[in-house]
Amino acid sequence: MEQVKITIALVIAVILQWTLRNVAEPFAYIDFTLIIVVYAALQRSSIRALIYATVSGIAIDALSGGLLGSNGFSKTLVAFLVLELVRRVYLDNLLLQIPVLAGACLLDDLVYYGIHRMLGQTLDAPFVTTIAYTVIGTTVAGTITYIILDSFFSGKTPVRKRDVFTSKRQTRRRNPIRLGRRR
Amino acid sequence: MIERSQKEVWKITPWIMVALLLGNFVLMAYDARQTETNQRVIRVWAQTVADFVQSPVTSITGAVTGYFRSISSLRTAQDENDAYKQRIQELEVEVQNAKSLKNENERLKSLLELKETSKYKILPAQIIGRDASAWFSTSIINRGSLDGVKLNMPVVTNGGLVGRVTAVSPLTAQIDLITKEKSGVGAVVGELETSNTLGVITGSGQRDLLEMGYVPGNVEVSVGETVFTTGQDGIYPPGLKLGEVIEVKAESATIPQLIVVRPSAGLSSMQEVAVLLYEPPPRPKYEETLPNAVKGDN
Repeated sequence: MEQVKITIALVIAVILQWTLRNVAEPFAYIDFTLIIVVYAALQRSSIRALIYATVSGIAIDALSGGLLGSNGFSKTLVAFLVLELVRRVYLDNLLLQIPVLAGACLLDDLVYYGIHRMLGQTLDAPFVTTIAYTVIGTTVAGTITYIILDSFFSGKTPVRKRDVFTSKRQTRRRNPIRLGRRR
Repeated sequence: MIERSQKEVWKITPWIMVALLLGNFVLMAYDARQTETNQRVIRVWAQTVADFVQSPVTSITGAVTGYFRSISSLRTAQDENDAYKQRIQELEVEVQNAKSLKNENERLKSLLELKETSKYKILPAQIIGRDASAWFSTSIINRGSLDGVKLNMPVVTNGGLVGRVTAVSPLTAQIDLITKEKSGVGAVVGELETSNTLGVITGSGQRDLLEMGYVPGNVEVSVGETVFTTGQDGIYPPGLKLGEVIEVKAESATIPQLIVVRPSAGLSSMQEVAVLLYEPPPRPKYEETLPNAVKGDN
């Protein structure tokens, strides 16, 4: 059921990516599909995350002036790296997910730019400005999206302040008198 | 049991990733080979599907924006009303003058036996989408092959040239703007018949500026002059307004000078455009046999 919900979220993300830039130019700097792809990877749904990355990337490329498959390539690579990270590091905390998303966005843009340069394509937008705006825009929008997704879609308990900001681990102090008793 | 299957999934994940990356790379390599247009089957289908989303969203947002604008404009309506009353008086005088000028114009035309014919057919279109990626600046219009739009047809606004059609689906078309770095438009500073300041307009890397190159260094160009198309590029018809010269980077007589041009069409804010149903005359056969000639399906 959770996978169906993420798929729906991805479809909505693709639609937003197709339409919102025509409403206001700054929306171009939010990569909605990357947000969902990274979210799927953070949920450890490995194969789905990779397929989501490829399909949504090609869907974006189809309505873009860039090379077909370039977004699919960069997003698939990013999804895989996030999956590998998730395998090794516990990333269920929102505060840890934010830098992961920012890093994923930066890497996605660098790969996308590199591929185009490698294949002799010139991009219309300036390199540093676009990457900076995209990382900021996607990270901010992603943080809000993750809170919403955690609250409404996954069926988990809503993210509370206590969950977001990790509290000091509390352990019960053992009774020093009973320490010596062994049966 | 569950743990084991999860391990198996992790095992095959790198292979799936490699397969997907290869698929994407093949797609990119295929796409990169064709530089003239963006016309691909996937694009055509995706644009057709996207039209069912983009068109309603554009109309809804347009309606909402218009509603709020009308509310805000009510506040200044009273002042504007007084100004308009005064303006109407002035315009009435101007209309009388215009009527007499029109009559005179018609008489002169009939004397010269000129027929008033528009040079190219125009198809009005609305921009329903912009590039889904922040890196490019293509736009999607709500006219496609069913309306008679074909690849490479010029797109204009009342300000001047906007770009050309690079991909067509039955219901929509994708347009590349003249600000794209790889766009090349044959241009002339001043009137085509009188000026010999010929060059090529390309994108400058900035979204609102163009560069005109290949203009000999000994030709005088001044700021404020208007730049038009020459029609020599085999895509755009001659005489379309491109923009205004805002800077001339002069060089010596042997080195071409660089001219910075501001496009006359408001490229960043346009909502309505028109497709010129213009097809360039066929190229001479010897040009097609040249080794570097573009052999597209246009």
